[in-house]
Order: sequence, then structure tokens, then C-alpha cells
Amino acid sequence: MFSFVVKRLDFLKSIPLLALVFDSLLKMWMLITKPERLDQIDKIENEVLKWKNTSLSLHKFGGSQFNHNQREFAHIHSNGLLDILFTQKVKAELMLYGRVEQHHVFKKSGWISFYVHHTEDVDYAIFLLKLSYNKIAGNEYRQF
Amino acid sequence: MKTFLQSKLLQGIIISNVIVLIIIWLNNWLHSEKDGILVFSEFVILPLLMGVISSWFWRNLNLKSKLLIWYSILNGLLAILLSYIFLGEGTICLIIVSPLIFAFVITGAFIGKTMFRKNNQTLNVSIVSILLVIFTVDSISDHHYSNMVSDEIIVKAAPEKIWKNVVAFEKIKQADTYWLFKAGMPSPMQTTVTAYKKGAGRKCIFSNGYVFDEKIVTFDVNKDLTFDITGQPKDPEIMGHIDIERGQFLLKDNGDGTTTLVGNSWYSLKVFPIWYYDLWAESITRNVHLRVMHHIKELSEKN
Repeated sequence: MFSFVVKRLDFLKSIPLLALVFDSLLKMWMLITKPERLDQIDKIENEVLKWKNTSLSLHKFGGSQFNHNQREFAHIHSNGLLDILFTQKVKAELMLYGRVEQHHVFKKSGWISFYVHHTEDVDYAIFLLKLSYNKIAGNEYRQF
Repeated sequence: MKTFLQSKLLQGIIISNVIVLIIIWLNNWLHSEKDGILVFSEFVILPLLMGVISSWFWRNLNLKSKLLIWYSILNGLLAILLSYIFLGEGTICLIIVSPLIFAFVITGAFIGKTMFRKNNQTLNVSIVSILLVIFTVDSISDHHYSNMVSDEIIVKAAPEKIWKNVVAFEKIKQADTYWLFKAGMPSPMQTTVTAYKKGAGRKCIFSNGYVFDEKIVTFDVNKDLTFDITGQPKDPEIMGHIDIERGQFLLKDNGDGTTTLVGNSWYSLKVFPIWYYDLWAESITRNVHLRVMHHIKELSEKN
């Protein structure tokens, strides 16, 4: 459903509020079908907000956007799809481990997609976010 | 119990509903000339505002997303209940409007949660201002929307045999199959005429006894029956928000013993946004057509 909307109804995203409303419908769907997903997203958001100079805003295409000094470095849609910005080099290295995918729309960019399906995915999501945060915050990459 | 009544949680629900109810009342009072028209802002901007206002009261409760959604649903349910009590809306109408209310109240609640978490007063003021500007502009703008729905079926009979059943027909005995009819929305039951000629009066009687008064404006035997709606019941259900203006049956002889029966209806909507309500209007009109046309088919195909 999410993929269908993103691929086939992409032209509607410029209509104000529509993406946010679609994300609200996703939230309602998750509340009924996978309520634990909403808790997992909350946990990720709360963790990122503990990091220095981070903030949350609404992503223009729906979901929560993670910023460092008002600059976006990731966002998570309410179905658990986490999109994170890396350099092409880091993305290529991460892809070797097989847990992340090409970004679901911008396949040739440095963006990657990672689905939070289970509780154990939360830790890896936070790890990926920290990796991107460290880069954008000017810190060195940790080894992985 | 006392703690709950004094809680920010309840304040968020009650105060957001009261504010929106006052805005609707003020808007109706200031624009009383717009008889029965409900603008898109009342279904989009106000629920968003409700969500934002409730989030302001809930900003220090650190609500998890699940709870924020549940409380927003509760907020929306109260809005629907108040619409039933104070605005006189019917049950079917409220069923139709509820997805819009829930979607926008929840969206507003999450917008508010983000706004107040950031503690960005400039953003807060600008978003609320934009919502109010949109509401004001939308309220004073003219709204008019008309549409025509057309359906056709093949009847295994000649036009001469079908014609009399098109002009008037006995009670429909088939059970309703459309889910809104089953849920209590009135469905067409019977049609009567005062005479078989142009200018004659026609009545379309619905299952709850409501009658649409019609006047035949085209009486082209075996080909075209067109009638204007001269009076329709003021019903708290959807009927109060849609004006059925004209109906038409066209019969086209296919030359092989069958006839194509076309049913057309023209209507204007008094509720906006169109992208939402016209989906319902088309669906309801189509199901009224099909119920009548299948009945005409059954009567006409009898030996």
C-alpha cells in the first residue's frame, strides 16, 4: 500500500497537508494492526532527541524528520520506514551488510532505507541514525 | 474522578471542541445567507485546529503516539456527538464525515505535538494564523458545485414494454444491497404519476416515507423521460446537503430485442471539499439509479 502510494500517487505530494494526512492514516492503520510499531518509533525519536542540537519536525512527505541544527539527516514514516542520509561511500559499505536497502525512491543518492519491523530493529535503527548524526555533527565515524 | 475532570487531558478535549463549536456558530451567524452550505474549512481546518489546540493542553503529558491517537479519536468522537446534538446532523451524515474528522484531528494533534515540542512561538503563531486566514477566506468565498451521474443497463425487452415501467412503478420488493441503505439511509421504493404526459406530476417515494416531488418536462414516448425535482424533503441526513435537480431516463432500441436503459441525475452539493463528498454523492446516486433500473428491468422482462 505504502509503495503503491509513493510510486503511483507521487504527483499528489505537492498538495499541502496531503502527505501529513496520509501519514496520519498510516498511524491509524498501525494502531489497529501493529501498535508496537508506534512504540518503536517513539523510542527511536526519544533517543535521537537526547543527542546535542537535534530536533524533530514534520517531514514534508509525512512522518517525523530528524534534524541536526535544523538540517535534516533522516526521517521515519509511520509504517516504520526509516530513511537516512549518508555519503555514497558509507552507503556502499552499509549495503554490504545486507540490512539496509537503497532508498525507496532516490536509489542513486546517498539515502538508504531501513524498515523497523521488530523490537530488535530499533537498536540497529538508532545505530544507523547515530552514524549519520556523527557525520553531520562533525564527529568521526565509529567502526561498525 | 475529580482529578480526571481537572486534568489537562480532559481540558484538551473539551476546550478544543468548545472553541470549534463557537467558530462554527459564529460562522453560521455571520454567513446566514449561505443556506446550508458547509465549506471545506469546517471539515479540514477546524479538525486540524482541534488537534493543535488539544496538543497544547497535552504538551507536558509526554503522551506516547498510541495514546495521542486514541485521545484524538476520543476528541473526534465528541465533535461528532456535538454535531449530532447542536448542529442536528443525521447518523448517516456523521458516518460519512467521520473519516475526515478523525484523519484531520489526528494530523492536527501530531502537528501540535511537533510545534509545542520545539517551543517555537513564531511557528506556532504562523501556523494558527494560516489556518484562520484559510478559514476566513474559504468562509466568505462563493461555493457552488454541480455534477451529473449516468448509468446504463441492458434490458431484454423492447422500449414499448419498458416505457410504462419507467414513468411509474409499483413498490420495489427486493432487499437493499448497498451498505448505506442497509445502514438506514432511505432508498427509492415507488414512483407514481398524475398523468402520462408532459407537465404531469410525479412522486418518487423513499423507504422512510419521504417524497420527492417531480414535474415531467420531456415526455418523448419510448425514448426520453426527463423530470425536474420541484420539492425534496429536508432531512437531517445527507438529503439536507445535496439538491437533486433533475432526473432522466433514456431508452435506446438496440434492434435485437434489447434496449439500453440510461439513467441520469443532476445534483448540486452543499458540502465541501468536493474531492471527498462527491465520491459519496456519486456512489449514493449510482446506487439509487441501479436499484430503480434493476427493478424496471425485472418488471419489463416478465412475460
